[in-house]
Formats: sequence, C-alpha cells, structure tokens
Amino acid sequence: MAAKRWIDGDETAAEMLSRVSSERPFLLLPPLHRVPLRVGNVVELAGPSSSAKTQILIQAAVNCILPREWNGVHYGGLERLVMFIDLDCRFDILRLSEMLKHKIMEPNGSMHDHEELFAACMRRFMYVRCYDSLEFLATLKTLHHRLKREKAMHNVNIQLLMIDSIGPFHWVDRGSTFFPLGSHNRKCLSLQSISETVVQEIRKLLVLHPMLVIATKEIVLGNVYGTDGAKQNKYMLEASGIRSITSSSQQLPYREFMPPIWQSLITHKILVRASDDHLLIRPDQENSLYLSEWLLPSLGYQDKFVVKDEHGMRSPPCLIIPPMPT
Amino acid sequence: MAPFKALELEYPIIDSNFQTFCASHGILSVEDFLIHDLYELAAFAKQQPTSEKLEQGITQILSIIDEQHQPWVNGMELLDDTLHRKHVVPTGCEGVDLLLGGGLHEGQLTELVGPSSSGKTQVCLLAASYLASKHMGTVVYLDTGNSFSTQRIAEFVGRFSNHMFSQAGHRNFQKVMNNILCHSVFDIFTMFNVLHQLEFNMKSQLQKGGQVRLLIVDSISSLITPILGNIGSQGRALMTSAGYLLKKLAHEHNIVVLVTNHTVGGERGIPKPALGQIWKTVAHVRLLLSADHGNDTRSISVLKHPSMASGKVARFRV
Repeated sequence: MAAKRWIDGDETAAEMLSRVSSERPFLLLPPLHRVPLRVGNVVELAGPSSSAKTQILIQAAVNCILPREWNGVHYGGLERLVMFIDLDCRFDILRLSEMLKHKIMEPNGSMHDHEELFAACMRRFMYVRCYDSLEFLATLKTLHHRLKREKAMHNVNIQLLMIDSIGPFHWVDRGSTFFPLGSHNRKCLSLQSISETVVQEIRKLLVLHPMLVIATKEIVLGNVYGTDGAKQNKYMLEASGIRSITSSSQQLPYREFMPPIWQSLITHKILVRASDDHLLIRPDQENSLYLSEWLLPSLGYQDKFVVKDEHGMRSPPCLIIPPMPT
Repeated sequence: MAPFKALELEYPIIDSNFQTFCASHGILSVEDFLIHDLYELAAFAKQQPTSEKLEQGITQILSIIDEQHQPWVNGMELLDDTLHRKHVVPTGCEGVDLLLGGGLHEGQLTELVGPSSSGKTQVCLLAASYLASKHMGTVVYLDTGNSFSTQRIAEFVGRFSNHMFSQAGHRNFQKVMNNILCHSVFDIFTMFNVLHQLEFNMKSQLQKGGQVRLLIVDSISSLITPILGNIGSQGRALMTSAGYLLKKLAHEHNIVVLVTNHTVGGERGIPKPALGQIWKTVAHVRLLLSADHGNDTRSISVLKHPSMASGKVARFRV
C-alpha cells in the first residue's frame, strides 16, 4: 500500500505548475523583461558609471512594494518587502518616493486620500548602508533574524534583495591581506575569505528565504587588454581562418574583477550602458538612450531604453522601452 | 572589533569555556566570527557537553554583531530624514546657487573639478565665509596647498555683513572668524587623523562652539595623487577609504562636504578630472569650473547631479 502511494505521486504536473507559478511567480521587470526571473536567481547588472543601473533598481523596487489592488484600483504590484543594501552610499530616497507617487497618481489623478497607501508602501522598503566590508558581513549575518522578525511583526515576505554596487570594497580588501595572528588555524581577513563568506551567506539566505537578488556592478568598458591588443588579436584570428567552434570563455567587453566564487553565484548577467545617441520621443524633449544586453543567458542583441523625465527638475523619471532589437 | 577576553567583563556568558571552544576553531575575536560559518559552529557546539551555554554564547555574539552595522531603516524614516534633517546650504554666489537649485546639499559629497586658477579655492572660501557670517554653524577647512587666505575671507565676510567698523561689528567679525577652523594637511594620513578626530568629537558631542555644517578639503587630489601608483599599491585602497569616510561624515552628521580636484589631459587633448575611474563614482555631485580668458567671469557646469541632467552651465564672478 505504501509502495503504491509512493508510485502514485503527490500531485499532477498541472497542479505543480499552478502552485509554483502562484507561490514563486516569474518577475518581468522592464527593461530586464526579456528573460523571466524567478526567486532564487542572482542577477548581476553591470555597467559603467551613470548608466541607469540604480534607476532600474528603483523601478523594480517600486513595482515590488506596490500592492496588487487597493481600494478597488489595480496597481499590479507584488506587495512584498524589498531590502536594499547600499554599498555605494549614494542612494537618493527622493527618486524612489517621486516614482512611487507617480505610479500611485497615474490611475487616480491625485495623491489626495492616498497618503496611507504611500506610507504603507514606503514601509515595505528597507534600507541599510555599509561603509566597509566588515559592516557588510555583519549585515548579511544578521539578515536572517531580521527577516524573521519582519515576518512575525508585519507578516510580509521578502521578494527582492538589492545590493548597490558589489565590489567597491575590493580595493580596500585587497590591500588588507593580514597574516593570521595567534593560533595557526585562524582565518585571516583577506579578499578571498571575505568574498567566500559573502557568497556563502547569500546562498544560505536564498535557501531560507527564497528571493531574487539583484546586484549592480560598476565596470570600465572596453578595457580588456587595451584597445590595440584586442584589435590585433581579432585580426590575427580572422586572418588565420580559425573559427573557434565553442566560445567557452565568453568575450566580455569589460575586465572582470570579481573573484571566481562570486561569478559562480551569479545566474544571470546583463550589461547596460549609455549610448551616444539621443532619442527624440517628443519634439521638445530629448532623452538619453541606454543600451542593455543580456550576457548570461547570451541573447546576442541589444535593447534600447530611455529614462523619461516628465517635466523639469524634480520630476519622476521612469523607464519606457521601445523594444527594438537591433 | 573586540577580542573575546575583553567582552567577558560585559557579557558573562562569554566565559573561558566559550573562549576555549572558539579558540579550537580559530576564532579569537568578533571579526573572526564574521568570516566563519555559524551553523557549522552551532553544530559543533551541540556535540559539546555544555552545548546550551555555548549556543547562548553564540546568540550573544550575534546580537553584538547586529550592533556593528548601521541600523536598518524603512523608506518612511529615510524620507523623513532627508526632508527634515538634510538642508540645502547656499554657497553665497547667486549664479552657483541658481544652478544647483538652492545650493549644496547636506549629506552629499560635492566635487569641484577644474584646471588650475579656475576659481576652485575662491568658491570654497566664499562658501565658508557665507556660512560663517550667517552664523549657520562652523566650517572645517582642510588646506593642502597653503591656499587659505584670511584676507580673502575677511573681504567676503565684509561683503555679507554690514557695519564692519563699529564696535558691535568688530565683535561680530571676531565671532564669524572663530567659526572657521583651518587645518593644514599635507598627506593623506594626516587627513585621516583629522577626520577621525572630528568624527569622534561629533559623536561624543564635544564640539567647541557651534555644530559643524561644512567640511572643505582643498584639494583632495593633491593628497591622493602621490600615492596612486601602479595596480599593486595601497593607493586605491586609501582613495576609496577616504571617499567612504567623507560620505559617512556627510550622511551621519548632516554636513556638506566639498572637495576640489584638478584636471589632467585626456583623450584627444580634452581635459578630464584627475584621480581616474574609481574616484569618478565616489562624489554625489560633480561640477566643472573653467575660466574665461581675459576677464573675471568663471563658468561652472554640472558634470553629475543626482536630480538634474548634466550639461547645465552658469556664469558667475567671485
């Protein structure tokens, strides 16, 4: 009898699909919407400075903290917690609040009567700054208890963990390779041990609290081996007529500085940058154009998107995508 | 972070038994705790005869670690802090203030980039005098190249406040000048010393006189350039640490931080800011100053600002 029950199974495939898609839905966050993301994925958003990375994070955060429905108005959000670890220490909360206000005002026309909704949403956004890697490690170690407490107090789960600018302590940690003092089996605070611990903690958190991790990374484009060297390599490869069948080491357009253990944690990679062209959407407005390209999984083409500034200075910028695969 | 022996006094649960257990795994201080796997340690603790006490000790250490990092704040608290505690401080020059939408923001690191004699020091002295003469707080001025000029400060203060020559005016002038504290620093380690001392004073509120409102480092590039060598050097580490320390002071204590940087030749002969790609991302606001040849006017343009597009230009005269 027990054996037969074991063969019969717990649920059908259809039941499982419907359960998983309601408990762990796919997240389609523009402009990362080409590849559906699920909880448990770790996305790395790489780009040179001022290439709209933080803007993408803000948009994703607003989408996550809004409720699905409030007072009969549909907002289409996820009503989950967003934790933002700011390692760059340059986050501007005003941009987030402007964007949230804009999203609330869109179907309603005004902010009147919606103060409560605004406050409830803002309370679902948690923020912390870390000024060095020891603080970062301390935050990660105590995050599990923090999340348990939030769940107990407000009964809200986490959906998104954002790390703004992974790798800034890279230089400081590199310079601080101590030799272990005291006993022989003491680990020293080197770059390697810190990176290993960070990755380990994130993995453990993903097991206990399924969530999507998005980390931004500041890179320098085009600097792989110096421009002349790269051109020469390409020319020689083409001239000799050898085409490598498997491009196993993907030719990245930037130099990777994160240690391999971090790269093994990443499941998705996307590269964004500002392009030199400007897109004329309306005759009086010129917006700067940004390019995004999925590197892992490699999709081979580039998307263009703009950050729209409504009117004047303190306006809520939002992302709109004219989908034009080039 | 403290070694366990020091913690024993405050937290009696961290007794010698706990310390020997941890030492057997190579953990001698709270820092070591951060890079070890806690679940593994707890599993080892279960096998020990005094497992309950050890687990309590581990929990105690976790709560100590919880205080090591900055506290978590939610969106409403952060918004409240930005709107009510971080004010906008005018620089004293109308053209610049108009460009920046009011002036310099507290909690943000503003960088002035420009070739030599483009007016960077003048803008710094102007901002310092304006703040001091309006009695908004004290100014800490770190001078790296002996360019701090008390005559120029006196001139600016005279411009901002009236009746300089009366008795009351003279006393007022004394008070204003006492609000500006100037330190000469000639290497980065002295700067770290001064900043750490300032942080300590502000934390323990031993500040003589008023609250520090403005911190100026003129120029930070002359402190960092000598140590930026090739890849293996400590220069980059010190540069990023300096950036973090300045941003920490700005945010935690609500002060305006203003630094100056010079330019170097870039591609195709167009000058670019010095200190490279890593420093590019450190400042919140980046302003480029340039001089018009032949006359007194300077132009200032926005290279980077969190809430406006770059490229806006203003002209001013100091």
